[in-house]
Amino acid sequence: MALKFKGKVWVFGDNLDVDYEIVPFRKFDAGLIKLEDVGNWCMANVDADFAKKVKKGDIMVAGTNMGCGHDHFQANLAIKQCGISCVIAESFDRNFFRNSIAIGLPIVELKGINQFTKAGDELEVDLKAGTIKNVTSGKSLKFTPYPDFLLDILEVGGMDPYADKLVAAGKVKK
Amino acid sequence: MGKTIIEKIMAKAVGKSEVSPGEYVQFSAARIDHPFILTGTDMSERFGKWKSQDWTLFDPSKIIFAPEHCGSYTRVGSTTTNRENHRRNSDWLKQLGVAEENILELGRIGNCHHLAVEKALALPGSVYFSAMTDGHAITVGGVGCFGSCMSASAPAFLRTGWTWFRVPESIKFNITGKLQDGVMGRDVYEYILGQIGPNGAIYQVMEFTGPVMDNMSMDGRQSMCCLAMFTGAKTGIVNPSQEILDFFKARTKVKFEPQYSDKDAKYIKTYQYDGSKIEPQVVVPPDRHTVHNIKDVEGTPVTNAFLGSCASGRDEDLRMAARILKGRKVHPKVLFNITPGSSDSMSRVDKEGVISTLLDAGCFICAPGCGMCPGFYTPLAKNEVCITSSTTNLPGRMGDESAQVYLGSPATVAASAIEGKITDPRKYL
Repeated sequence: MALKFKGKVWVFGDNLDVDYEIVPFRKFDAGLIKLEDVGNWCMANVDADFAKKVKKGDIMVAGTNMGCGHDHFQANLAIKQCGISCVIAESFDRNFFRNSIAIGLPIVELKGINQFTKAGDELEVDLKAGTIKNVTSGKSLKFTPYPDFLLDILEVGGMDPYADKLVAAGKVKK
Repeated sequence: MGKTIIEKIMAKAVGKSEVSPGEYVQFSAARIDHPFILTGTDMSERFGKWKSQDWTLFDPSKIIFAPEHCGSYTRVGSTTTNRENHRRNSDWLKQLGVAEENILELGRIGNCHHLAVEKALALPGSVYFSAMTDGHAITVGGVGCFGSCMSASAPAFLRTGWTWFRVPESIKFNITGKLQDGVMGRDVYEYILGQIGPNGAIYQVMEFTGPVMDNMSMDGRQSMCCLAMFTGAKTGIVNPSQEILDFFKARTKVKFEPQYSDKDAKYIKTYQYDGSKIEPQVVVPPDRHTVHNIKDVEGTPVTNAFLGSCASGRDEDLRMAARILKGRKVHPKVLFNITPGSSDSMSRVDKEGVISTLLDAGCFICAPGCGMCPGFYTPLAKNEVCITSSTTNLPGRMGDESAQVYLGSPATVAASAIEGKITDPRKYL
């Protein structure tokens, strides 16, 4: 993964709960949603057709406290599976933040993103450089890039492949 | 510059002299020399990874394994598959080197966040990891420990012992005065939520201090820290009391170093509340953050009551329910499910007669675990109305999506169960 993304913006609000707005967890827990097709349920409680409308590479923009509530990673997986390349929000819930890194879903916390972009804009995000360009409006924003070890995790696609790398390199010490 | 308790715990855990908010740090489990990781069957099955991979554990001696984080198999769609999964996983973990006594069986378990404390995995001044999917690992902030849930990072963490943290900012909540009888830690948290809202502490630590906290039991403290996520917090934390140090000294030979915030520690905000004026609080559905003083909702009819989950079900909560229900009966139309948090806790209060008092009052006592919080044992049916001291009230969380869930303290739940409507517990004390 090059850690550079370009796509159309989908805007959602504040306090999106992992178990309600992002994925109906009750249905997941009851076995009605399988992990392999959880992407089809992404944002279903907000916009029933979202998973059909979204295109691979599109970018999700949310408000404050994105991914609040429990730490159910199915929400992060649903966003990644349905084709979203990157999530930008005013602020993230801590569990959502950790789970995004864990499954290799690039996220950017950036105050002011809601003023910077609107639904349908085209954005270019460069995680390593720490830049976001709004192609539609011509404006740009900067953010502090993650430290190298977090970029490495995102680059290899999440914690599991990263663990493979650590184990293979003999870096696991007891 | 002084440091907060969370900054001191994190610095110690990663082997640095100090850490500051905003910093990303790398953690190696090799630095911790006692079991501090709890994992369970549901984790391995949800990921579908454990059974197929030829991996090794970074250090089997640091891991305790429990049958499912909720301590219960009576969930929707439960089959013997669950037991088979548990057998397969425990056999496999044994092969990977986890000691037999660290693989817990039903009867010796409970809700995982209760276990973290009861089994002394979460020690004051240290870190505790739940290698499962349950963010309420932050409950252990109540004993002065930094708890974190590995969730989707868990398989990688168990293999490598490596993970990362982002050091959070801290907010200080100074709660003065003295709580009224019948007002519990739970009410203090919900009161704060009502004041600062669900975005009030995003990615920040809620450090609860002041005379009310100094006098609060470790049970009340855990109840408050358990809920900190509903204000967006990374965790809640309280500087440990003597009660807590004594509790762990009696439970483990591991030498632990409790940490305390420095007097000149830096907080990004400080809130001050008079605890004497806090009334019993009730969260009204469907939102998690619509908080009312009990008088606004008194009289709302309920069909179900539930006491349990990681947010309650501790000794103090069970004792409070028994104190209110002693010599009284649960309302004929109400199903009052009480699920103690752990076998240890249930056994302790049973010796005081608490369990028989609750049974005599007509409560339905379930095996220790998460209970009804995620809809186990007695899920809510269509249009039922429940008052509960469990974690949250999202539609469908405890059963049918049409059911309504009000949240209150264990005292409020017990008093409401008697009257079949939301009731101020102070009249029964």
